[in-house]
Amino acid sequence: MSLATLTKDWAATSYGFLDASAKRELRRKMLKAIAVPGCQMPYASREVPMARGWGTGGLQVTLTLVNPTSVVKVIDQGADDGVNAASIRRFISRVSGASETWDTLGASIVQSRHRIPEEMMREDQILVLQVPNPEPLRGVEPNISIARQMHADADYGKLWLTLYEQIVRKGRIMQGASYPSMVNGRHVMTPSPIPRWDVPKLNMARHLTFLSAGREKRLHAVPPYTRVEPLVFSDRPYLVEDHADLTCRRSGVQGFFMNELPQDGGGSVFEVSDSNLGIKALNKTEGAPTEIGETWYRNGEYSA
Amino acid sequence: MLTVAPPDAVELRANATFEALMWSLSRPGDVRTLPEAGFGAIVETLVDLECAAYADTPEMRARIVASGAMLAEKVSAADHVFLSELDSADIAELNCGSALYPDDGATLVLACAHQGQRLRLTGPGINGSKDVTLAVSPGFWAMRDMLCIYPEGFDIFFVDGTSVIGIPRSTKVEVL
Amino acid sequence: MAYVATRGGEKAIEQAERLFRQDLGTIDAARVETIRSTMPYLIDRVMGEASLYDEELAALALAQTGGELSEAVLVLRAWRTTQPRLAISRPVQQHEILTQRRISAAFKDIPGGQILGPTLDYSHRVLATDVLEGKPFAPPEVDKAASPAPAQQPSLAEWQRQQGLVAPANASDVAPEDIPDLTREPLLFPASRAHRLQSLARAETGGVLALGYAAMRGYGNAHPTVNELRIGEANVVVRHPRGTEFSAGRVRVSQAEVTSKEKGGYLELGFAATFGWNEVKVIAAATLDLNSDEAPVGSAVHEEFYLYHTESVEASGFCIHFKLPHYVTFQSILDAMRDAKAKKAAAEAKGETYVAEPEEEPAL
Repeated sequence: MSLATLTKDWAATSYGFLDASAKRELRRKMLKAIAVPGCQMPYASREVPMARGWGTGGLQVTLTLVNPTSVVKVIDQGADDGVNAASIRRFISRVSGASETWDTLGASIVQSRHRIPEEMMREDQILVLQVPNPEPLRGVEPNISIARQMHADADYGKLWLTLYEQIVRKGRIMQGASYPSMVNGRHVMTPSPIPRWDVPKLNMARHLTFLSAGREKRLHAVPPYTRVEPLVFSDRPYLVEDHADLTCRRSGVQGFFMNELPQDGGGSVFEVSDSNLGIKALNKTEGAPTEIGETWYRNGEYSA
Repeated sequence: MLTVAPPDAVELRANATFEALMWSLSRPGDVRTLPEAGFGAIVETLVDLECAAYADTPEMRARIVASGAMLAEKVSAADHVFLSELDSADIAELNCGSALYPDDGATLVLACAHQGQRLRLTGPGINGSKDVTLAVSPGFWAMRDMLCIYPEGFDIFFVDGTSVIGIPRSTKVEVL
Repeated sequence: MAYVATRGGEKAIEQAERLFRQDLGTIDAARVETIRSTMPYLIDRVMGEASLYDEELAALALAQTGGELSEAVLVLRAWRTTQPRLAISRPVQQHEILTQRRISAAFKDIPGGQILGPTLDYSHRVLATDVLEGKPFAPPEVDKAASPAPAQQPSLAEWQRQQGLVAPANASDVAPEDIPDLTREPLLFPASRAHRLQSLARAETGGVLALGYAAMRGYGNAHPTVNELRIGEANVVVRHPRGTEFSAGRVRVSQAEVTSKEKGGYLELGFAATFGWNEVKVIAAATLDLNSDEAPVGSAVHEEFYLYHTESVEASGFCIHFKLPHYVTFQSILDAMRDAKAKKAAAEAKGETYVAEPEEEPAL
């Protein structure tokens, strides 16, 4: 063994920013996350040139996956040109040479904060969700060591009790986004703060999903064709947001998750949250050649 | 401020190897193609000085040492196990992790022809069921059932030349 | 494409960054050197929190961020994380530190002597406003001691051990490369001692001070006595592949040992050390270490609590992330709230009583 075999030429930055050992650690943990769906796998979580809490977990997964033939879409709140989405997308393409896209159908990797696109993802696509808090039990058990033991014991009684209490007090479950969901009948996970509208898209999906929390140093995965069941009582159906009848004021599409825009003098108007779906619908209206993929919701009804 | 060189051959090989491993584990029973036959690229992709690895051939042991990983004397001490042939004594020793840390369960990389015993796979990653053939005796699967108490268990890559089939601990295997 | 025109995130973020950088003006080597040579304690603090010992890079990070400390630490950490680990140094022993200052509050005098060294502790904190009126402040010369203090000083705890006051050290023969490294593996609980001390060493100074101070005021179970506080320089001793050990350079270090009460017939010791000279941080951190063993879960001196919450990059990043849009999650909450209100109104319209509970968000 000589020094030459142990070293390599100096470079200012590694390809894809992360160095080889960081990528290997992530790969090992990503494989284990696939092997035990919904179970949080701890990882070292290196610092990246972005602030913690701004998608560093998702970014590390994407940087491990990316290569020069990748096509990357990044969204924040459903929008491709949200300022942080733009910043992350630009960073990924700068350090990897990957192509950028706004089109869900054209992407090989979709990194997202708080939304799953409305167009159905395919078998060859990977969804990377940014996760602020990976622990669905945090609200009932802030101590991370105790919460881990509860997952080990599949002890979710406290979580069920919280949901039950909400029904008793409010007449319904009050959980907004981040709806706790049972994966593969064993581990309760947070689907990240996606709206309830998006959770069914993870159940028996065709694509692979990674959920990664950089600050909290945990990642979990939902492989394709894996059961993801929101925690509900059998006599209280799961309720998605009541957006089925809303219409986008710009694109005219109806039956998708909307952003509400309060108006002067009261009342609200709505815009479709999946911004590129809105653009596609507009283009189609204007007669431009546009391919809108099959959507998970049809006429406001989940139908996949 | 930031200039990044294009990926070198090692980077590209590791990236492609991981992609094959990732999809093979995500869709148990699907055959994926590795950029290079054998175990070398898999070591390069997954193993380094933060790992402890075991191998049953001198060549692979040398490969592990070169990666910087600790060479495990016993299967039970390894997080990555590379076997050129199946030995039930080795399998019985595999680290299955714990319910608290299922990620401590080992990754087994096994040289194995993708023909022979017919199996039916069900579980995460599989739409309904999937049939595969692997040159592994039914006794191995009985042993796996005994050892892997989900979420504890080990995850397997069956490597045949450049082809790889992944079977994670979450897959239910029925011998046909 | 009217829909797109109303947006424009890419341009906005680029211009926003330009505004920030324009205010700072041109950054050149001279500015970096000025910061490096005139702000040693600031450089030390940044190097400690970044866990990267390089005065020039720390000065550059400060120049580039205009002194925004959490940004400076982040940019250094992000650079550090991509660097290879070339060697692992031998642990620094207290008696080997080239000591500039070393004091103990536990005894009037100690073997080796109290060495005040450079400090503002007994200065009158008066602003030198004359400087602003054109009269430069030139520091008066230091009178040399009759005989210089030895560069190396014995460890007080070692003397206490010989006297049976402190429990014998359970010296472990761990090879340097087997010491767990917090930057290469996740922090899990209960944390290894190595992880706890590494985490404190790179913790945010203000955060450690706040929690350490809480412990000192009574939210901990032990009131600290400074057993030994030391600042100095330590040799970074590494092994050449041929087997010889050599010093690759010196780093400024601080360390504190605090003690409080007896446990099992011995004085308990809390310890902390960090890169650079940062006395407040090591005293506060050693106090947290001292308090953690019997700490109630969830208290400020419980290791999970203080290690998580003093991590500078994570804490500052999460805090500023709340500036990001959250309108999807907010929409989801609104929807549940409106539906619950509608259900309540419908029930009341039918003349049924509805159990009114205080409005509260779900805790999940």
